[in-house]
Amino acid sequence: MFASSWLILLFPLTGFIFLSWYGKRISKAFVGLIGCGTVGMSFLTSLVALSDLLFLPAEEGVGKVEVLYQWVSAANFKLDLAILVDPLSVFMFLIVTGVGFVIHVYSIGYMQDDPEYSRFFSYLNLFIFSMLVLVAAADFFFLIVGWALVGLASYLLIGFYKEKTSAVLAARKAFVMNVIGDVGMVIAAFMIFESFGTLNFIDVFDAAPEMFRPNDDQILLITLLLLVGAFAKSAQLPLHTWLPDAMEGPTPVSALIHAATMVTAGVYLIARCHVLYELAPFTMYLIATVGVLTAIFAGTMGMVQYDIKRVIAYSTMSQLGYMFLAMGIGVYSLGMFHLMTHAFFKALLFLAAGSVIHALDGEQDIRKMGGLKNIMPLTHATFLIGALALAGFPLTSGYFSKEAIILSSYHAEMGNFVFWAIALITAGMTAFYIFRVYFATFIGKTRSPDAHPHESPLTMALPLVFLAVLALAGGFLGPLVDAFLAPVFGHEAHHFHDGILETIALIVGIGGIATAALMYQVSKDRIELMKEVFAPLYDLLFHKYYVDEIYDFLIVKPTKAIGTFMEEKAEKQGVDFAVDQVGFQVKEVSRGISFWQTGRVRTYALNMVAGMVIILLFVVFM
Amino acid sequence: MGQEFVLLVSSTVFCVGACGFIIRKNPLIMFMSVELMLNSVNFLLIAYSSFLNSLDGQIFALIIMTVAAAEVVVGLAIILTIFRTRHEMDVDQINALKG
Repeated sequence: MFASSWLILLFPLTGFIFLSWYGKRISKAFVGLIGCGTVGMSFLTSLVALSDLLFLPAEEGVGKVEVLYQWVSAANFKLDLAILVDPLSVFMFLIVTGVGFVIHVYSIGYMQDDPEYSRFFSYLNLFIFSMLVLVAAADFFFLIVGWALVGLASYLLIGFYKEKTSAVLAARKAFVMNVIGDVGMVIAAFMIFESFGTLNFIDVFDAAPEMFRPNDDQILLITLLLLVGAFAKSAQLPLHTWLPDAMEGPTPVSALIHAATMVTAGVYLIARCHVLYELAPFTMYLIATVGVLTAIFAGTMGMVQYDIKRVIAYSTMSQLGYMFLAMGIGVYSLGMFHLMTHAFFKALLFLAAGSVIHALDGEQDIRKMGGLKNIMPLTHATFLIGALALAGFPLTSGYFSKEAIILSSYHAEMGNFVFWAIALITAGMTAFYIFRVYFATFIGKTRSPDAHPHESPLTMALPLVFLAVLALAGGFLGPLVDAFLAPVFGHEAHHFHDGILETIALIVGIGGIATAALMYQVSKDRIELMKEVFAPLYDLLFHKYYVDEIYDFLIVKPTKAIGTFMEEKAEKQGVDFAVDQVGFQVKEVSRGISFWQTGRVRTYALNMVAGMVIILLFVVFM
Repeated sequence: MGQEFVLLVSSTVFCVGACGFIIRKNPLIMFMSVELMLNSVNFLLIAYSSFLNSLDGQIFALIIMTVAAAEVVVGLAIILTIFRTRHEMDVDQINALKG
């Protein structure tokens, strides 16, 4: 019934292969057409899958596994080449291909002048394919395949400007961090196979409740190891350091991979494996704690950064923290809903920021921006919408999703006051830092008079408008999302209503915006004074809590020291020495005995006779 | 003709051949010495073939003669080539294989 769903994966793969082989020989327009067209087709096919799913009778609403053929059958290990089409995966299909398509279109304009246009689009298509493999996987095997593939695509795209050292280093960092997560995932998959004898999602989730009591050691270990992967991919503490650095990639990449889709893979993983996580309340609690800590941690860092993309990157981390919080307290569909609205408004913010950067010829420092409101009216309007949605301004999409999570963090069964308070403070900070960027970028007078900014071309403007509409109106999809995902999670999320808490959250959000506006009004001297007063705190935040330095000191330096030591002692004085000595000693011994080899036939003959005589004597007298 | 006699003759001839091979420097003489050694063995084989009433020894002797002939062909060819290139016939001078 869902056989056509294979096409969703097939289109971007075809695009990737085609662009890799023929990309350099065809015109830019055609490259753009292929790149966007394949993803667009994928999106349309996802819509077909969605309508199929909606018209299913209710009892079949959980979708089904579409098997192409049995790939591996060895002893008791069976592996089908299969995709799982259920509300959750179709939901992700729609976000990945939908937002992906919009960002592809935007890239046509953004990358117009790049000489390696076709390479960019082939990587983008590879990413879309990988992400679809990840969310379409019907077993842990293909989940990990997709997981690693998106890591690869992310690596390739962060390091797209391969002449830039910082970009290459950032790509490497992201890859290493993600591989740490992959290792956790692979070990978890082995443990799942050991416990259940299968890797198939449906079989595992069916068997799990009877197999384990809550908080059994085995299930705790499995969920925690899966969590390592989720944390690495979604940039949660303590594996978060790669995400801000990943902003070295082109802006559409930041929007697509490091805001809207790939980084949400961790959230998707928890949602997908929620059956396992419900058996491990301890892990759930850990998820919520790490999520809320990441939210505030990233929020504080975002407040002091000057790079427009980095601020948005920290806000991504922070919003991912909210999603993890939602997963941790068991309101899965709210988490998925926030994932969707976040994909809309964060992609919008990144693309608008990209539009600004594009207009200013690559300038990313907000201290050198300003006054773009009148020059770039469209970008200004869309950025404002994105910022409002991020800040949770009433009736924008972010308001519905974030507010619901903050409320649940207090009222849900696993929620408590601390979660709520931290989430609330973070919401205030979110509003503050995004409007700090907004005011610095668009309001006031320009601070780099030499630049001649211009409004972006149509291919960049249309995606902005489209995403702005979604970011504004996406919030009203909430109940639909909830009902659509209910078959997967077994129940609809409980919606809490608490007028007081809602009002408090609202006031905090608007307060953040107002603070940013005030901050912008005060004179430079006052701000400098404040910086001095709070210098230690400011330094701590500006240097991202010195996490990079701590990692450098704790992991990178010792590893390098061990490496150097091993090279000196084990390699040069151990292995190399032994090998050299073997050759040297053979040579020495040969030199010693080579006087036997005179080259004179008569000596040889004498030796032979002598030997013969000795043997004879031996035979006769012994 | 007893066995002792045969053994004595054979080993004497062999020793003469061996000594000749070691002492002389002329390759042709050395070749003849090799033939002496081979033939001493042939003599022993044939004699014992008769003592033991078995044809094996004689057949073996024939094989040895064949091998000796072949060896002489190759050896002479080598000696000839060396002589043509170096115009000398002293085996002690031919020590290019010194280690």
